[in-house]
Amino acid sequence: MSTGRSILVVDDDEDFRVSLRSLLAAQGYDVIEADSGKEGLRKLVEHKPAAILLDVMMESPVEGYCITHALKNMDEYAAYRNTPIFMVSSIEGSPDDLFSLSIYADLIRPDRYLTKPLDIPRFLDLLQKAVLAPATATAA
Amino acid sequence: MGEAAQPESIVVIDDDHAMRLSCSKILAKMGFPAATFEDGARGLDGVARLKPGIVLVDLKMPGITGIEVISRIHDIDPEIIIIVITGYATIDTAIEAMKCGAYDFLPKPFSPDELRLIIDRGLDRRRLALESRRFEVERSLLKRRFVTFVSHQLQTPLAAIHQYLDVLKLLDDKPEAAVKRREWTDRCLKRAEELQSMIKDWLTLAKVEGDTLSGQRVRININGVITDILSGYGETAAAERVSLAAELPKEPCCVAGDPNCVAVLFDNLIANAIKYNKPGGTVTVNARVEGGEAVVSVSDTGVGIPKQYHPFLFEEFFRVKGEGAKRTAGSGLGLHISKKIVSEMGGKIEVESEVGSGSTFRVHLPEYHDAT
Repeated sequence: MSTGRSILVVDDDEDFRVSLRSLLAAQGYDVIEADSGKEGLRKLVEHKPAAILLDVMMESPVEGYCITHALKNMDEYAAYRNTPIFMVSSIEGSPDDLFSLSIYADLIRPDRYLTKPLDIPRFLDLLQKAVLAPATATAA
Repeated sequence: MGEAAQPESIVVIDDDHAMRLSCSKILAKMGFPAATFEDGARGLDGVARLKPGIVLVDLKMPGITGIEVISRIHDIDPEIIIIVITGYATIDTAIEAMKCGAYDFLPKPFSPDELRLIIDRGLDRRRLALESRRFEVERSLLKRRFVTFVSHQLQTPLAAIHQYLDVLKLLDDKPEAAVKRREWTDRCLKRAEELQSMIKDWLTLAKVEGDTLSGQRVRININGVITDILSGYGETAAAERVSLAAELPKEPCCVAGDPNCVAVLFDNLIANAIKYNKPGGTVTVNARVEGGEAVVSVSDTGVGIPKQYHPFLFEEFFRVKGEGAKRTAGSGLGLHISKKIVSEMGGKIEVESEVGSGSTFRVHLPEYHDAT
């Protein structure tokens, strides 16, 4: 069950996950890790995280986008449609540049886009706001 | 693109009604849709709208001059072929028009055959221009992608290191920081090494592509090269619990080439055989002279490579993916570089591999013969 403080980190770079795990744990978050898009979707259903941190360029560059697409458009994942996604890549530039010609750009665009290495204070701030937002909505 | 299938349209700009009529008749017979206009202003509107492949322009018209029409057509699309149709009295102006970018001129009066000929030539020229433009676009796209790819490869380990240091700084006063610092320093070092070896690979590739590696052709005893490389990998192999074995002939096994290249070649193969092995596995390097060739095989007892990937193994940036594939760092250039070196030396490289039981890379190089 979601504790409201669990974060799913989907990244094939183990080092990125290791340092992020310590960082987020120190902030009181539970961290769930996945090293592929497939595993990410599986753990999403299993753990129902409060937010997802997603690397764009995993094994294939579209793997990250498959997750956003699944979350935003597939009925199977409708329950997670509002789970905030932070998309991360070590390349500067937004998904709009990467997919400027894709007719699917609107279907896969994540809400938040960050570059590696993360600007940690900013990331933690955004994450906190994103995790708090749905809770406030439920309370209201 | 869809437009390629359709014939190019042709625009005729001439104030002479009879000329417009006869041109459009001839062009229609050739199978080209033609649109005619009686002055420069209307003609330019038409060109902007129709995006024709060829424009026939009369130089002597009321209103905008023919010369100005030419330069404004090329503002719309520099690849439009402009043919000037002109009376004998204005040959000098026609030459001036060509200086301004017109492709050719056709003196009036002209026969249907003359018009057909010049249109055909003009279209050939246009096809060539469009093709080279397309090629330019493709090349710049490839270049841009290459830069993106390489920067991503460089950024990934750098970002991992950066983030370790950032988080360490934040955790500084926490009790677990000391343990993390020790553990993460090792991880940072590993990523820094990865970065260095990738840069080394790119530099080697640049040298191989620039043909600057192949200059030297000296006698090299492969036995010595392999012994050196294997002893250099002793520690790495031990850390991976992989044992190294050499089966080398008693007599020298010699080839002609650049010693650095030959070292890079076998270094790549041996490093891969260790990297993609299993704990407890073995790497065996066998060298022998056979039918005027030095044949060296590097075998591992590792994960093996699925058959469908064999044709791509030696391609630039190719890396085996999918479940079961080891997630190891690398530039995806090692085998590509190895193949280049082998080809340079007039040899060949082949692979045999079975998923689960391991791979063998076999190199055939022409045996060294003393010229004297």
